[in-house]
Amino acid sequence: MQLKTRKILDRSFSWTGAIAIFLMTAALVILLAPMLARGWGAFHFAATIEHRRMILEQFGRGNRAEIEAERNASRLARAPLYRMIAEFEKQLEDGEEQERKKHAASLRNLKKALRGLLGPEPGAPKPILMRDRYGQTRWDRALVKLQNALHAEEWDYSNPDRGGVKILKKRAAEFAGTSLEPLFAYLEQNTKKMLLPRRTFYWRFLTDVSLDAHFFGGILAEILGTLYLAAGAMLFALPMGVMAAIYLTEYARESRLTGFLRTCINTLAGVPSIVFGLFGLAFFINTLKVSSSKSVLAGALTLALMILPTLIRASEEAIRSVPKTYKEAALSLGAGRGRVIASVILPAALPGILTGTVISMGRAAGETAPIIFTAAVSVGKPLALWQVFSQPTPALSWNIYNLATEHEAADEIRHVQYGLVLTLVALVLILNLAAIIMRARISRRLKG
Amino acid sequence: MKKTRKITATLTMAIMIAGGTAVAKDAHKIVIDGSTTVGPIAKAFAEYYMAKHPEVNITVSESGSGNGAKGIINEACDIGAMSRPMKSSEIEAAKGAGVLPVEHIVAMDGIAVVVHNSNPVADLSVAQIKDIYTGKIANWKELGGPDLPIVAISRDTNSGTYETFESLVMKREKIAGKTEYVGSNGAIRQRVLSTPGAIGYVGLAFREGVKPVKVNGMEATPETVVAKTYPIARPLYMYTAGRPRPETPLSEFIDLANTPDGKKIIEDTGFVPLK
Repeated sequence: MQLKTRKILDRSFSWTGAIAIFLMTAALVILLAPMLARGWGAFHFAATIEHRRMILEQFGRGNRAEIEAERNASRLARAPLYRMIAEFEKQLEDGEEQERKKHAASLRNLKKALRGLLGPEPGAPKPILMRDRYGQTRWDRALVKLQNALHAEEWDYSNPDRGGVKILKKRAAEFAGTSLEPLFAYLEQNTKKMLLPRRTFYWRFLTDVSLDAHFFGGILAEILGTLYLAAGAMLFALPMGVMAAIYLTEYARESRLTGFLRTCINTLAGVPSIVFGLFGLAFFINTLKVSSSKSVLAGALTLALMILPTLIRASEEAIRSVPKTYKEAALSLGAGRGRVIASVILPAALPGILTGTVISMGRAAGETAPIIFTAAVSVGKPLALWQVFSQPTPALSWNIYNLATEHEAADEIRHVQYGLVLTLVALVLILNLAAIIMRARISRRLKG
Repeated sequence: MKKTRKITATLTMAIMIAGGTAVAKDAHKIVIDGSTTVGPIAKAFAEYYMAKHPEVNITVSESGSGNGAKGIINEACDIGAMSRPMKSSEIEAAKGAGVLPVEHIVAMDGIAVVVHNSNPVADLSVAQIKDIYTGKIANWKELGGPDLPIVAISRDTNSGTYETFESLVMKREKIAGKTEYVGSNGAIRQRVLSTPGAIGYVGLAFREGVKPVKVNGMEATPETVVAKTYPIARPLYMYTAGRPRPETPLSEFIDLANTPDGKKIIEDTGFVPLK
């Protein structure tokens, strides 16, 4: 080949590589940026007085006097609103039957919308469900609810050939000419005074428990559950994986049996994770009865089985890549086989094994399917260490799914879902970063 | 070497003691699994009960009525939440495993048939709904709506809502192969919310943001369910293995449905409390 063509080929090859890397980075940015931006909203947002009140009442944090002063200010701003409604209701009562009927439904809807925005009206009995006890705790949600209070949503089905069209009808129009009409202008102008939004960094989202099935509070139970599950899986899988790898590389002779074993391991790696979940339920819970119900233990065992093939292969590769001369040198000095493995081969293979370990730990933390039937629940308390043997737990991955689909108020609490996603992604990233750093450190030490 | 042995011994001891406490603590946990329809009630009850008894840990998962029944049969959960009664085959299986399932009705529910808000169709008969799910009616035009193919969405066969729907609407006729199956009430709601041509069926608590159609001229509301005028209504159940011993958290939890606060919770979550 001519020098010129070789150069062109060479250059085009390196260009393709550069483009591939660029595309990958772009994909990563497109994937991660919205995740980070939205997830950030779970921690840093404009919190209303209702949020500060909730935190004070439920977690006992915050300056009581200051919050009480703020509450009084917000009560003052809300007072004309409730006065107007009370006056209007009184007018209706005294007025004609017809008038009363005409406004009854729209007044009921308005009051419901106001409850959604500001919480229960003053003097109302304390609602049992926590979700009804507070108004909107976030300013962004409050703005949505404000629109609900100002506008009634209606659908125009007049064109039969096409679907209906959404129309926002001003509620003010429903009460035109009555004494309630000025309420809407007042509400629109004074929402800020009623809710007193203030930028807040709610880092305790990570350490607060969830209240009323994630309507309020944080995600401590999920984080703890995920850590327990990932650590537990490692505890079972790591010794087994490394021992299997040592056996396969150092002890087993190449025979049909080891070939078969390898095929089995490879097949295990390809089994869909939901199958592991079902297997865990059938084997660990129903047959072995490691716990009376779903539990962290059962989930960790199931996850351990799932990451075992990856671990075995990573460890095998790491052990194989240890130069033969190390082993030969140790043997020539009179060391036994076990000694050689423990003091020469394993330390040299450690960086590779650790990388495999941490990467599979990240996978164990993120997997959903294996824990559905074995460990994960949608509501539960953070577990203490001794409870992992008998009790199930919420976990990041499962609760993301749960909040995205099953939760009855999925749209109301999107921010919690985003927060969960960010936390999970961050957790996995940190684990992988730890792997890289550890690897670099250990290999530097081994060289030096 | 000696030191390591000592540490190992202490560790083993610690784990054994921890295991022991775990068994002793079992009275303070309640594991609930099953129906996604009963989910909101179970979750709200759990929060309510745990607020009063902080030493009890109640976990709720929603994986369908079928799993609630299986959980009771295998004794893998303390309460099997179900939106349909146990089938005789399930009761047999439970007895075979030495478990006597005890039924507790906690609330009433109607199955609301929901469509996208932009859909002008507001009234369907049970026969029409059946035709939609068998695939006989495939376009909203045939029902007086826009020219839009119908996307029929159903719960998976593990669901109690599916079973009730099948017996009350489909009259044991099979749901057609074109139907999409999803795993929870919430998922049906999400799917209908985002698809103009969709139709689905959900428990009363899951109507937010979607449009329930009248069935045989009746609206799906707590009132029509109480009056038994809404044609697709059913009780919601919690099953336990044997009758729970009185004055245990389990029996107190089950009894919540009969207390004034419990009834209020059921009402607030959108269902119909028992009289």
